[in-house]
Amino acid sequence: MAWRSGAVLALALASCAPEPPDVPTMFVLGVDGMDPVILQRLMNEGKLPNLAALAREGGFSELGTVNPPQSPVAWSSFVTGLDPGGHGIFDFVHRDPVRYVPISSATPPVTDPGSAIEIAGYYFPIGAPEVLNNRGGVPFWDRLLDEGVDVEIFRVPGNYPPPESDAKVLSGMGTVDVRGGYGVYTWFTDQAVPDKESKKGDIQLVTVEDTDLDGTPDTVRANIKGTPDVFHLPPGKIPGDNDYLTAPINFYLDPDTDTVMVEALDDVAVLAEGEWSDWMTVSFDALPMGAMPFSGIVRFYAKELRPGFVVYASPVNIAPDSPAQPITTPEDFAEDLAAAMGDFYTQGMPEETNALKDTLFSDDDYQRQVALVQEDTRELIDVAMARLQPGDMGFVYVSDVDLQCHMLWRHGDPKHPGAPPHPAYEAAAASEHADDIEGYYRAVDDHLARIRAKLPADATLLVMSDHGFQPFRREVHLNTWLRDHGWLTLKEGKTTGQIAAGDVDWTRTRAYGIGFNAVYLNLAGREAEGIVKPGEASAVMAELSAQLLAVADPVDNARVIKSVSRSSEIYAATRRAEAPDLVVGYDAGYGASDESTLGEIVEGWIEDNTSRWSGNHLMDPSVVPGVLLSNKKIAAGPHDLMDVTVTVLHHYGVAPAEGMGGKPVLAD
Amino acid sequence: MDSLLHLCGVVFDVVLAPLGHDRPEFDMLAWPVIAGVVALLVYKRVSNQKGIARAKNRIQVHLLEVVLYRDDLFAVLVATAKALGQNFLYLAYNIVPMLVMFAPITLVLVQLVAHYAYRPLEPGEPVLVQVELADSARSRAREIQLELPDGVTLDAPPVRTTDGRAAYRVVATEGDHVLRFTLGGEVQDKALAVGGENRKVPVLRGHGLDAVLYPGERALPSDSAFQTIKVSWEERGLGPFPSGEAGILVWFFVFSLAAGFLLKDRFGVTL
Repeated sequence: MAWRSGAVLALALASCAPEPPDVPTMFVLGVDGMDPVILQRLMNEGKLPNLAALAREGGFSELGTVNPPQSPVAWSSFVTGLDPGGHGIFDFVHRDPVRYVPISSATPPVTDPGSAIEIAGYYFPIGAPEVLNNRGGVPFWDRLLDEGVDVEIFRVPGNYPPPESDAKVLSGMGTVDVRGGYGVYTWFTDQAVPDKESKKGDIQLVTVEDTDLDGTPDTVRANIKGTPDVFHLPPGKIPGDNDYLTAPINFYLDPDTDTVMVEALDDVAVLAEGEWSDWMTVSFDALPMGAMPFSGIVRFYAKELRPGFVVYASPVNIAPDSPAQPITTPEDFAEDLAAAMGDFYTQGMPEETNALKDTLFSDDDYQRQVALVQEDTRELIDVAMARLQPGDMGFVYVSDVDLQCHMLWRHGDPKHPGAPPHPAYEAAAASEHADDIEGYYRAVDDHLARIRAKLPADATLLVMSDHGFQPFRREVHLNTWLRDHGWLTLKEGKTTGQIAAGDVDWTRTRAYGIGFNAVYLNLAGREAEGIVKPGEASAVMAELSAQLLAVADPVDNARVIKSVSRSSEIYAATRRAEAPDLVVGYDAGYGASDESTLGEIVEGWIEDNTSRWSGNHLMDPSVVPGVLLSNKKIAAGPHDLMDVTVTVLHHYGVAPAEGMGGKPVLAD
Repeated sequence: MDSLLHLCGVVFDVVLAPLGHDRPEFDMLAWPVIAGVVALLVYKRVSNQKGIARAKNRIQVHLLEVVLYRDDLFAVLVATAKALGQNFLYLAYNIVPMLVMFAPITLVLVQLVAHYAYRPLEPGEPVLVQVELADSARSRAREIQLELPDGVTLDAPPVRTTDGRAAYRVVATEGDHVLRFTLGGEVQDKALAVGGENRKVPVLRGHGLDAVLYPGERALPSDSAFQTIKVSWEERGLGPFPSGEAGILVWFFVFSLAAGFLLKDRFGVTL
């Protein structure tokens, strides 16, 4: 009789499962950073035939972004349909009001480090704190799944660590490498590296040994760093440089040719100068005798082999076929994808921007690596389209346009042809790379063709971006400006310093900046040493806003800041208490310096941006709107990101949740 | 030894893949069952069936003692120790049949791996061919000559290491190619399967245990200057079955064990 009971139970459960709505497929291609002005120009010039056809068929419109227009903030709004006050992601960087230190906006600070039992020098954690995603609200995919719609989401930003969900979701931007960093590369070289402490990677000075004593150096034995050495770290300790597990990497140079054999674990690659390896697996042993190995995947680039030895190793990505940390929901979805397409980039920002920023990579080096990312994206799109069934909802995120606009804008302004050269202009490389950004737009056009070739004829297709782009010509050290104007005071005897290092005299500081667009009052009762009384906050903000809006560039008297918004006026109340008090909207061409973002106070408050990070969007939302295209008619605007969320829900007959202010964008 | 392995390979080339290499279902299902049945028959023949039955009975008796006398700690400890002792005896009874079955099962398994674990290269797909020299020739890697047939080209210059290895990245057009390696007066070939239908893909040429485990080609002579010549093939998917060397191995053992357990009563075998 047991089988009968089982059958009845199964039938009962099946009848409880919602019937999927009988509607056609909806597919969204999310293109980070696609700008309406550049897109329109390239479509007009006939360079983007597929995007142009889509615009003709359905529509093309600007898409309002969020404030501030930062990718994790914007994509979180798209995912939840809520403004930042609803989902709680206000900037790439948040601050801890007790310690006045920058913290990641992706994960809330862990206050309880947990405990561990120490045995023979090993710490075995007991009740280690779970690292959670800081994003609030309910992702649209969970709401669709509740209504019986199958959803598959690929590389969505801001979804790491992946919140619990039954939907199939691969995390994108914000996903860490195995070290827990956002792109920590390794540079193996026997050459001196100037200013190596400032580099964002691990610079390893190696020796090329002449093992057969024939006068030709032939062998390099090195190690690559991987996961933190968790069993040797007391609870709560932040890993130092020597607190990471390592895996051996050997390089063997051919005596007669500029070719190297790279050996990592059981994988071997042969690389000529200028070539990238395929993915190679490395394993990091956390316990003796391989009792607990953590796997990662890494690619090597033979930049130079003789006379100098320079080999670059990508950040060690989490291996999708045996992830050391979850990168998908359900957890085994990553393994399914690995089975379908082999190893793939799992790091949130797969482009090696750090090496280019650190001037270790030339533009040619960088371009070769971006080509690998593009190939990876094509394969992912093919897998996504092959898995998409009629009626399913699908989403794929593409990072290329955003990162290449950040890195390559200095070679030629694609939005303002004829603009004067960027302060980071490099004449030698510019002639060769001036049109690179156009090439990445064309790649999106190709992606679109691949998608449309597989999409059912009745499907609804949306192509959208989270924001547009502007040049980043001048960088503003906002904390320095606050110092110069009496809002922030350094301790006696200091003219420069670092907020997190304790250099600020909080008894004489009314406001400070941590984050790209964020200003916080030193508010009594909230900040540890706050002095601005809550009753005075509004007047203080009014005074500071007025001064900020009046800031002019000393070079040409141009406006630097276009808007200053109070979070109390632009954000929903749910998590507004965590928000910056003021959101600074820089005018086109201006942006926060990295130093000020992390709370540093330097000599002067504004300077030319000579960094290769030369395009930007961390500005006033009105100067960097995104785009929306569809194969269905788009209703008269204006539209914004959260409207797209509501449109997706509306397509499947799902009503917007409380707090979602968007409206459907497609004409019925 | 080489002749025996070669003969074995010829026989399996005939009997394996009756539905073609694109349809692994028959071999992946039939051979584990055949192995399971043969193992049962061998087990029945060479094992001490009475001893096994006795050991199993006594294990049950001692476990029952543990339950019945659970209030008496000493009795529980004694019964547990006796059950453990009978377990060791039971394992000992299994050693002989396992040793007898090891060789034939290994032979079948390595043939399944040779036929199904890897796929031929795609035309134009780069692949690494690695040569390892014997200890006696370690210092001579620079002297290795590779003769490429028509349709095969080097994709990058080779790397020869000081510890007696050489690696070549090659690409090839469709066909069954033969790479020819020369060192001093010795010439050795390595097959390279490119394009076309799935087929037996020889992974590695070696001698000794390597030749047993990778039976796709003739073994290298025991006095060869070459230790191994290996191609880094890509694994092929096998539909619903686990793939790759490890997948086939796990599938083979799990399914043959399951078949053995299901059929043991029919064959009157006590396991």
